[in-house]
Amino acid sequence: MSAWLNPIQRWVWRDPVRRGHRLLRFAEVEADGGRDLARAAELTQDARLRRLYLRHAQDEQRHADIFRRRGGELLRAHKGEAGWQPDWLAPGERGLDDVKVERDRDGALLAFLHLSEAAAARGFGIYRNAVGDDSHTRDVFARILKDEAFHMKYTRHELARVAPKKQGWLLWKARLGRLWKGYLRFAVALGGLMGGILLTLQYFILLPVFALAAKRAERREPQGWIAVKGMGNRGLEGQY
Amino acid sequence: MKILGISAHYHDAAAALLVDGLPVAAVQEERLSRRKNDSAFPLGAIEYCLDEAGLEPEQLDAIVFYERPMLKFERILTTALRTFPRSYRAFPHAMKNMLGEKAWVRGIITSQLGVPGKKILFTEHHQSHAAAAFLTAPTERAAILTADGVGEWATLTVGTGERGPGGTRISIDREIRFPHSLGMLYSTFTAYLGFAVNEGEYKVMGLASYGEPTMADAVRKLIPRTADGAFRLDMDYFEFHSTARRSFSNRFVELFGPPRNRYEPIDFSTEEGRRFANCAASVQRVVEDILVDIARDLQERTRLPDLCFGGGVALNGVANARILRESGFERLFVPPSPGDAGCAIGAALFADRIHFGNPDKPFPDHPFWGPLPDGAALARIAEEDRMPFDLVEDGPLIDETVADLEGGRIVGWMEGRCEFGPRALGHRSLLAAPHDAAMRDRLNRDIKYREEFRPFAPIALIEEADRFFELPPGGAQLARFMSGVFPVRSEWRERLAAITHVDGTARLQTIDRAFSPRLYDLIEAYGRRTGIPVLLNTSFNLAGEPIACSAAEGYSTFRRSGMDMLVVGNTRVRKRPKGAAAPLEMEEVA
Repeated sequence: MSAWLNPIQRWVWRDPVRRGHRLLRFAEVEADGGRDLARAAELTQDARLRRLYLRHAQDEQRHADIFRRRGGELLRAHKGEAGWQPDWLAPGERGLDDVKVERDRDGALLAFLHLSEAAAARGFGIYRNAVGDDSHTRDVFARILKDEAFHMKYTRHELARVAPKKQGWLLWKARLGRLWKGYLRFAVALGGLMGGILLTLQYFILLPVFALAAKRAERREPQGWIAVKGMGNRGLEGQY
Repeated sequence: MKILGISAHYHDAAAALLVDGLPVAAVQEERLSRRKNDSAFPLGAIEYCLDEAGLEPEQLDAIVFYERPMLKFERILTTALRTFPRSYRAFPHAMKNMLGEKAWVRGIITSQLGVPGKKILFTEHHQSHAAAAFLTAPTERAAILTADGVGEWATLTVGTGERGPGGTRISIDREIRFPHSLGMLYSTFTAYLGFAVNEGEYKVMGLASYGEPTMADAVRKLIPRTADGAFRLDMDYFEFHSTARRSFSNRFVELFGPPRNRYEPIDFSTEEGRRFANCAASVQRVVEDILVDIARDLQERTRLPDLCFGGGVALNGVANARILRESGFERLFVPPSPGDAGCAIGAALFADRIHFGNPDKPFPDHPFWGPLPDGAALARIAEEDRMPFDLVEDGPLIDETVADLEGGRIVGWMEGRCEFGPRALGHRSLLAAPHDAAMRDRLNRDIKYREEFRPFAPIALIEEADRFFELPPGGAQLARFMSGVFPVRSEWRERLAAITHVDGTARLQTIDRAFSPRLYDLIEAYGRRTGIPVLLNTSFNLAGEPIACSAAEGYSTFRRSGMDMLVVGNTRVRKRPKGAAAPLEMEEVA
């Protein structure tokens, strides 16, 4: 995350209600990440990795609990609706993102995990500094950062063990994969936005006449039970 | 004939395979993908079913999808038109969602399985529910009731079914259509109470026991009855038909107060906490009343002794028990998977018995159609992780497990094929002693990580269940798949505190020996030792995860939770004693 985002992060994290909501979202992401790691532990044939993944999964679950607890505390202490949530300005925690635990082999997964943990650690470091005088939330990030350091260390260490000759290439591949996924996220969001605009235009231009007809037809519909004619006698070939 | 049934794309995707009229395999996609309520096209489940029968896709005679996608599309489009212009935000979302994948089911199946399009058939959603409920039940003639959120248009249907040497017939006589829906009403309250829709409905039911139906009249305003005995929803109180943002309207909030923040725990000592509990109790009461009325009317019209009930609403065990007690039906059959996953079986059965006219065959009365766990795999993993494990014969395993349960240990129990349906019915269960409330709290705190107000279920020998639970006639049958909630007899409540809910009830499962012999022997042995042949039985999973299916998944769940031991077949693993050294790798890395 670039340093130029720091002022934005400080602004985002300043509001305690927004802070509470963001921590609660982090809790969900961490819990999801924990489940992905548990899945990785279930699938790997490497006993040592299984043990490490399980420990990592438990750490993520613990982080989720910590975030949830602190987020809940903040929301209880500062009742009120969260204001504008500019997640796209400061995307924050993505956890293990869309990791393909089933598809990736141990080496590729470790490279991906290592980069994800490094990115998460950078992010948490920035958030720790951005929360201002909220020492409790700062402590939360500090505690979690210690675990992240371990996660970064073990993933790098194990990558060197399981793929000693390919580790560099796997890390580069994982970096490119993250870039590609970032691009895909952007492309999907842009496509969704454009599709949404087109469909909204169609909605207001094409639908009004049909909407009138549909509303008139609705008024003629009986209420309550409707007799079913021919159900069971219709063929099963059609989708309609 | 070889017929594959598929349900997918909304929640709980599944596949089921019939060969010559009998099930060979059925499994929800979530059990294989490990994504809870996985709704994706169930390729993993299909592969498992075909592997189990040793078939290739081209050998299938028919593939039956559980609903008609274009009819559903028509409903979504019509609803958007009817709610114009309020639906301007929901419309793009719904169209992208539908046109992206869900409308092209024939093409998806053809491309994924490589079968010709003419082999692909479509039942109607509630036909699938009706078939899943009636054609799996041990009855030849019955009334049929289905109720859920919505399928294509229907949300609730009634009819009759008949099967035997003369052929099979399912006749759905009348229906109630979207947006008027008991399932949507319940789901709206689920969202209002801060729980996830399609997942948190159990929580509303559990929460209801802590409240009083003081707001039942207000709920009835939302769902006035029609002159013909049906109901409609007053759409001024709802928004699920016009926006994807939320399902209740501002008027709803004016009537019931501010919705619960999902991150706030429910505290029954506060007025707010009691209001939420009363809300849950009120909607539960109103839904029960309507279902009982409809079932009673159906009984009077058909004069049949048996009712088969399907659809997601049939997961409401409290309502089921009331239907059984008050509707006049002598027996009520709810399949182990009455929701959309079960439609995979229903669609395949409907095609087999009715479309192709194949002769009826009794459906095996159990839910065990999923993958087997591998005890040897568990032994290998445990050995690699230096966890204490052993291989034990059935006799000693049962005796020692009884001693462990009596000693307050929580046992992960995996045996035989995985259950098809949302409930752990003894093959993927966590078992514990049912006596102390402390056990319930420990399970909630150390394993399930869930709300305190959610109860745990008991499993009891069918011959002895009536001693501990007040079962109406037909109650033991209804409890076969944990489909009914019944009062715990008052004299036993204290000794069954871990499974007795705050209102003195329990969601009972009864078990006979044929259903699951080893588990039956375990409960029987526990009864001999303690005088109470009842165990606490909860699903083998952690919060947010589907039920564990394989030995490796069981082991991972065991390691990440406060479970004391894990039994997979005849392999048993225990937790390392406290203070014993962990494998060295952690320290090496750290």
